[in-house]
Amino acid sequence: MRDRRPLVGLLNNPVVPSVIRYAPDLVEYVDVIPDRLWYDFEHGEAIGGRFHRVTGAIEELSECARGRVLGGHGIGLSLPSALPIDMEMVEATAALARQLNFQWYSEHLSMFLVSNGSVPNSQAGLGLPVSYDDETFEIIRGKLEVLKKFLRCDLLLENGAVFTPVPDTEMSEADFLNRLYSEAGCGTLLDLHNLYVGKRNGVLSPLEYLEQINPESVQEIHLAGGHELAGFYTDSHSGLTPDEVWEWAYHFSPRFRNLRAVVFEFHESYFEKLGLKGIAGELERMHALAEAVTSATVQHGAMV
Amino acid sequence: MLVEFQQALADLVASPDFCRQVRLSPPLLHERYVLSEREHERLVKIVNHKAMALNCMLYRANRLAPLAMNLHEFCTLLGPRLGPLLSEYAVLYPNTNVHFYLECDRFCKFVLTKLSDGYELEREARVVLEKEHSRIQLGLMASYTAL
Repeated sequence: MRDRRPLVGLLNNPVVPSVIRYAPDLVEYVDVIPDRLWYDFEHGEAIGGRFHRVTGAIEELSECARGRVLGGHGIGLSLPSALPIDMEMVEATAALARQLNFQWYSEHLSMFLVSNGSVPNSQAGLGLPVSYDDETFEIIRGKLEVLKKFLRCDLLLENGAVFTPVPDTEMSEADFLNRLYSEAGCGTLLDLHNLYVGKRNGVLSPLEYLEQINPESVQEIHLAGGHELAGFYTDSHSGLTPDEVWEWAYHFSPRFRNLRAVVFEFHESYFEKLGLKGIAGELERMHALAEAVTSATVQHGAMV
Repeated sequence: MLVEFQQALADLVASPDFCRQVRLSPPLLHERYVLSEREHERLVKIVNHKAMALNCMLYRANRLAPLAMNLHEFCTLLGPRLGPLLSEYAVLYPNTNVHFYLECDRFCKFVLTKLSDGYELEREARVVLEKEHSRIQLGLMASYTAL
């Protein structure tokens, strides 16, 4: 039996406050993307500093945060990039983390920045794949040390939706995450839907991956739905969680003794399609999962 | 060099035309970037991966997203003319601006420059462009002074 029940929550977007008002008891945790709470004038002239906060959105989020736990979920730092870490953004993130009292902070194990600019991700819709080699590991480890010093909370990295994996890497993605946990103290944010994306596109085996990942490292799970585009399956956050992803969640989550939160991700442009009732229904299923995970004991890897 | 490998990968994702060139002539990568043999081989395999087309589509969709959200009526009025305009814009400005108002303001100015250079657009589309550009500039002005 674990000593705490994982929290159930949502990835923040402009319509999440209305979901919280509709179903306040179903949302215990909110993943906050700092990049959506400021205007970044890195490539433009601004009055004052580089980051100008979207104060209305921050105030609304602060209201929603009462009685709930918040965590940070960043995009812009692009830790795997072979570039120095963006210290101005680290400082802006740390200031927001203090103000909103982030309990932990996650980033993506994907690349969004290159030396000559950035890859447009539209909230992580496209992150470039990472070379799972020693060289990349050392780059990320160094940046995690900086981040830890500024944020002073636990750090996690999330497996991305990969369409074209870098071939012949020195480590598998799961081994890379395991090493980040054992050698750099960085936990795993396990996006089960991203594994589903990999399976649908024929680039990874989720069951092998889930057997390989160190269960102690997993502290947060993401659920989501996607859709097909030109014969491929994408991580568009456009629908409810597919049944197969729920099966993995029920089968493997009891092993994750350090699991703190289960989060549903949807993009606000699909809010009308999903509807308040649809999202509330997903949250109810997540509460049932959290209950099952809390009461389950694990024997030889199987839930009983 | 990893930094060059990452840049090459980003450049490929941004340009289906560059992908085609590399598929036809892989040594092109060595001409443009400082790469180890392993990095070169990896890029050649990636560019020949069937899902590279998806990467390119998502790149383009994500370049379009801020414009479609903030200049919705103008994009709708452009119809099939939007695709070629977006391609030209993406080549001229290969880097996205994460501040959506700046990105949209830049796109509007790009179209306005084309108009002054003789690009033809019906009156209704010009009026909508002016209206939506004004709205973007107001939003931009507000974001300049937000604390």
